[in-house]
Amino acid sequence: MKIYRLLAFVVIFVFSLNSVLADATEGEKIFKANCTACHAINDKIVGPALKDVHKRRNPEWLLKWIKNSQALIKSGDPTAVALYKENNESVMTSFEQLSDAEIKSIVDYIQKESEQPAQTTATASVAGDGTSKTESNSNNSGFYSQTTFWALLVMTLILVVLLFVINKVKKVVDELHAQKFPATEENSEPIAISWKQNKASFRYKLFVKHPVVGTLMVSLLFMLVFGLYGFDYGNKYIGVQKGYAPEQPIKYSHELHAGTYKINCLYCHNGADKGKQASIPSPSTCMNCHMHVQAKEKYNGSVSPEIQKIYNAVGWDAEKRAYDPTKEKTPIKWVRIHNLPDHAYFNHAQHVKIGKVECQACHGPIEKMPVVSQQRSLQMGWCINCHREAKVDVANNNYYEKLHAKLKLDGKSMVTVAQNGGLECGKCHY
Amino acid sequence: MENKNNYWKGLEELNKDPQFLQHKRNEFAEGIPLEEVFSEEDGGLNANRRDFLKYFGFGISAVALAACNKTPIKNAIPYIVKPENITPGIPNYYASTCNACAANCSILVKTREGRPIKIEGNNDSPVFKGAVCATGQGALLGLYDNDRFHAPQIDGAESTWEAIDKEIKKALASAKNIRLVTKTTNSPSGKKAIAEFTSKYPSTQHIQFEAFSLGSIAESNKIAFGKNVIPGYRFDLAKVIVSFGADFLGTWISPTEYTKQWASNRTPENKGMSRHIQFESLLSLTGSNADVRYPIKPSSEGVYLISLYNKIAALAGAPSLGNMPTVELPLNMIEMTAKELWAAKGASLVVSGSNNLDHQLLVNAINSLLNNIGTTVDLDNYSNQHFSNDAAFETLVNDLNSGTVDTVIFWDVNPVYAYYNSAKLIEGIKKAKTTITSNSSLDETAELCKYHVPANHFLESWNDNEPKAGYFALTQPTISPVFNTRQMEESLLRWADNNIAYYDYIRSNWKAVLSNEASFEDAWIKSLHDGFYMTPAKATTAAKANVDLSGTVNAAYSLYTSSKTNLEVRLYAKVGVRDGSHANNPWLQELPDPISKVTWDNYANISKATADSIGVKDGDLINITSKAGKIEALPVLVQPGQPNNTIAIAVGYGRTSGGRVAKNVGKNAYQMAAFTNKSVQFNNAAITIEKAEGKYELAQTQTHHTIEGRALIKEASLNEYLKDTKAGNHDHHAILKENGNLLTLWGEHDSKGHKWTMAVDLNKCTGCGACVVACNAENNVPVVGRAEVLKRREMHWIRIDRYYRFRNKENNNISKEKEYNNPETGVDFENVSVVHQPLMCQHCGHAPCETVCPVLATVHSSEGLNHMAYNRCVGTRYCANNCPYKVRRFNWFKYRENDQFDFNFNNDLGRMVINPDVTVRSRGVMEKCSFCVQRIQSGKLAAKLENRTIKDGDVKTACQQTCPADAIVFGDIHDPESNVAKHFKNERGFFLLDEYNVQPSVTYLTKIRNVDENLVAEEHHAGKHKNEATQESHQHSESKS
Repeated sequence: MKIYRLLAFVVIFVFSLNSVLADATEGEKIFKANCTACHAINDKIVGPALKDVHKRRNPEWLLKWIKNSQALIKSGDPTAVALYKENNESVMTSFEQLSDAEIKSIVDYIQKESEQPAQTTATASVAGDGTSKTESNSNNSGFYSQTTFWALLVMTLILVVLLFVINKVKKVVDELHAQKFPATEENSEPIAISWKQNKASFRYKLFVKHPVVGTLMVSLLFMLVFGLYGFDYGNKYIGVQKGYAPEQPIKYSHELHAGTYKINCLYCHNGADKGKQASIPSPSTCMNCHMHVQAKEKYNGSVSPEIQKIYNAVGWDAEKRAYDPTKEKTPIKWVRIHNLPDHAYFNHAQHVKIGKVECQACHGPIEKMPVVSQQRSLQMGWCINCHREAKVDVANNNYYEKLHAKLKLDGKSMVTVAQNGGLECGKCHY
Repeated sequence: MENKNNYWKGLEELNKDPQFLQHKRNEFAEGIPLEEVFSEEDGGLNANRRDFLKYFGFGISAVALAACNKTPIKNAIPYIVKPENITPGIPNYYASTCNACAANCSILVKTREGRPIKIEGNNDSPVFKGAVCATGQGALLGLYDNDRFHAPQIDGAESTWEAIDKEIKKALASAKNIRLVTKTTNSPSGKKAIAEFTSKYPSTQHIQFEAFSLGSIAESNKIAFGKNVIPGYRFDLAKVIVSFGADFLGTWISPTEYTKQWASNRTPENKGMSRHIQFESLLSLTGSNADVRYPIKPSSEGVYLISLYNKIAALAGAPSLGNMPTVELPLNMIEMTAKELWAAKGASLVVSGSNNLDHQLLVNAINSLLNNIGTTVDLDNYSNQHFSNDAAFETLVNDLNSGTVDTVIFWDVNPVYAYYNSAKLIEGIKKAKTTITSNSSLDETAELCKYHVPANHFLESWNDNEPKAGYFALTQPTISPVFNTRQMEESLLRWADNNIAYYDYIRSNWKAVLSNEASFEDAWIKSLHDGFYMTPAKATTAAKANVDLSGTVNAAYSLYTSSKTNLEVRLYAKVGVRDGSHANNPWLQELPDPISKVTWDNYANISKATADSIGVKDGDLINITSKAGKIEALPVLVQPGQPNNTIAIAVGYGRTSGGRVAKNVGKNAYQMAAFTNKSVQFNNAAITIEKAEGKYELAQTQTHHTIEGRALIKEASLNEYLKDTKAGNHDHHAILKENGNLLTLWGEHDSKGHKWTMAVDLNKCTGCGACVVACNAENNVPVVGRAEVLKRREMHWIRIDRYYRFRNKENNNISKEKEYNNPETGVDFENVSVVHQPLMCQHCGHAPCETVCPVLATVHSSEGLNHMAYNRCVGTRYCANNCPYKVRRFNWFKYRENDQFDFNFNNDLGRMVINPDVTVRSRGVMEKCSFCVQRIQSGKLAAKLENRTIKDGDVKTACQQTCPADAIVFGDIHDPESNVAKHFKNERGFFLLDEYNVQPSVTYLTKIRNVDENLVAEEHHAGKHKNEATQESHQHSESKS
């Protein structure tokens, strides 16, 4: 009975929260789209941490500040001027396009987030819903991770040692046996007989009596082994490597950035809605935030070694807070995880911007991954399946004007990607 | 049993041995004793099971080990600081100027992630109108040429710029006489830099040298009109164009500009079409496109020009030149031409490709008589696209030999290769104290020079040019210098103690150019963005040539009479390799010659009659000796249209150094040139010829007899067309009707959205080959080399077929093969009509290739495209067999990273040119024209991203974009307003091999010639006959062509 009561309580709580925080969900969207580049709830990024900002400032002031902070500063508002100076006079972007209601919803969202204990923010929201069916397979390291390798190695060593010990024991036993029962003709012979003489043994039949069969079976075994090896190699070579989670030069965590801080994917992968490549951000993009965010609290006051790698790449001197022209700039060599073969053309903009596919649909729950792994096979069958089901949004893009008109005539309202030619070879292979 | 074979296996078989009879049923002598091995007898179950487990265990662990492959590591390296305007995966276009020749066409350079991958025409340019020639398209590959100097060198050892500058300055300071030899210099800032250099070293003289010189044109205008310029020719304003050997559509001065102008008057739908008459000593690209063409010997050009002058003078009532007896061509061609020119006076144009000053003066006089000066010959808005001073260079060679000139600087010129008397020049250069060259690779001239100061490629440079008066074209770098090179202008400034960056230098100079603009900064940025800046055109003024040319008559007439039966040599430049400066470019080497379709070679073009008289055939070798040199073992090509007793040889081949590709391709023909009358003449009547031992097969991409009697080419005369717009094309319209009733194998394709189609106007296509090279660049088409072309394995996705129409001496068409050698009627091999027909995949609606593919690697799309999935292809080549157009290409080898094909795909630098949007095909797969599907897809995506419908012209194929004649139109036929839809409705349109009913997506428009004769006199009858035949055998229309 107890458990039902608990369940009922949870359900009621969630529902009531939902209705109360309807504004906040709207605010969350706007916050993520516009603010996360510079602000987080609990941490200072470029701008200050926003926790409890509703307590610190009154709503009218916030409205003015968010709409046009520079105007407020110029008007001589003491709080604004102080804040501006406090933050190294970095200018906050004006958001005059946001309505008062929208700004209020942002504040509501911050209020909601502020009231939650810091830990829960990490798991509070899962960006995107197109992936509700995804297997939450956290096997990020594949079958042959480093741990497995070391475990195997240790086990092998133990076996070698055991073999050694057994051998020793056998020798000792044999010696003892020989001492106790000196060799006689009757009892020595059966021990000496090898499989080559034992006509009943399997090995004798296989290799001595029927060498053809033996050779065949051995070569079959070798073919099986090398064939599997080759197949596996070929698969990996062309990029069939689901579960691949290589070590990256910087231990960058999507869980932290996209999950906890909810930085919009497009902030860093800014090619995703423009063209073929989503593009990996240049370290100069990282510097937008990490010029200030150094995670010193975790490293006894010194800059996080991982963040230091960004500084090394761009030649930033953390002490002087300036770019050091004498330092050599070294590009960061990330390891590509999602490798499409050269003969497959994939364009991010087509899927992200036109098809409105969530990033997670192909990349999995990226906001939960401390280390990114390939979640989908990226094989053609997988592409095709989606093309069979996904609908083309003909109504909301003028490009499809004629097609939409034709569909209406036919009395249809929807067309799948496949029906629009999305299964044709030349759409991806050219 | 009787054995029809009469061979037996052995006696046993013959004897019917019972044991043999028993065994012959079994494949193996004994059965495989598996049962016994696995039986549990003797050993019993235990031993067996333990063994089995052992093997099983081993197997499992081995398999597990086998699966221990490591995923290959592929890195993704982002920019450290991402340039603001570069988004990986999205191309950027920069307006710039082509410097592949001095025509200086305005171009757009397509770059991906900071590397140029394609050159396109700049559609905004009012002069060049978006056209780029084959050489310009190919110039891109010059940037990624691994044979370029990687750093400055002193005596062959790499050096630094500081060290070399120091040494050169010292040498220049002590120099007695400095000569700076450059190509055509039309850059205002470049000229200023030269002036600055000259003022620092006053003994400097600047000499402009062009390998294939046309210096006499400017010289003749100086004499006749007092203006030392090449006029701005207006082929678009000319109703009658007469060219004496000027290849203005192919290689002459500014070919893309002239092709645009010429093609604008080749639309019969507009009723008016220009009449183009060509007199020439070889079958040139321009001659092959002329309405009327007459082959003449080079030595007779003078007398024909005088004759023409006299005939026009008679019509104009002006005095004639001298007392020369009338010289006339058959059919009174000269008189006819004179009449036509006179009738179109003020709107006619006579040009000559000769470098003989007398000829150019005569041309001036004729144009002057015809009142063309100020209309079609514009001396006010002149051209700066060609300067060369042959006499000055001749003096330089003498001065070098005499030792008066001790310092010579060669700026991107290679006279040791291109000067007719190379030996003398080499001697002279060896005597010079200081020799400096900016040539980009170790070519013939650079080999003799002490200091190598390699200049940037033009895609790495800042520059400005003024190709036409008042048209300033800017060059901006699209990539940082690949090697440690420096612009030559900057080098000159350094040596003149000016350390300014060349960009700042140009910018400050442009303050004067843009002085009329309100804001310099705005105008400068706009000019850079547009790629050019134009001042308003000047008002044209009429002028009269006032030169007494009667002195030329006797010389011309005596040359004509003395060399009437002599063998003569005429040199010409090919489109592509041109004067030889692009010889290290494999794309251009593999571009088939527009006429002969020969790749990777030059050869002696000889007429059939001359070949017979010397006793040579195709592939025989000859030696040609002139005063200056000897060409040994030059292969012979019997060329229709070639005038008798004239041997035409292309320059630009026979390089002895200058890169892996350039070396040892063909023979150097420059040694046949001769210096007379103050200029270098590219024809020579003083030669001897002899047969040489051996044979040599030329790598031709098209050999004759491919037409198989089918009506692939349709043509009509303008008069016929004006009477009947379907003239020459009746059978198409008949077949079209017929095809509607035919049974077909194929179902109709449902095409809801777009249907991509192409139209090719045979009347406009000049066959220049720009599309072929553009396609190579766009679609990563590999270069296969001469040996593979010989095996007909060239990979070009678009080819231009060239067809000849022969006539017999009674002026009737030759329609049957046997007539070819009919001694009675004979064939007039000097007079042929030529049609160029670009052929790419026709993207058939009922594609025969699709039907036979066993793995469905080539399938139809809903947008009317015939897709080719390389990764699915297994290489049966059935499709190529079944393609009636033979447009499919098979990858016989892996052409990249393969030392057997040591071209641009075989080195990292050369592969930078690869278009990342197009797969690089591997060995064993079929490929073909895709209608530039990558461009279609990106055009569609752009429209979607901008939330709009796709517009006509949004998607242009690579061949269409570059076409200087606008012969190719591409678009969506479902858009009724599109240009291509209009072309499909044109009654000139026909499909190739109509009768197959394969429903191609490419329509060709009938060729219309502006000639008086009827070209389709019997066509109507023939068409009718065909119809009857079609009705007789309904479903087998193809059996009867």
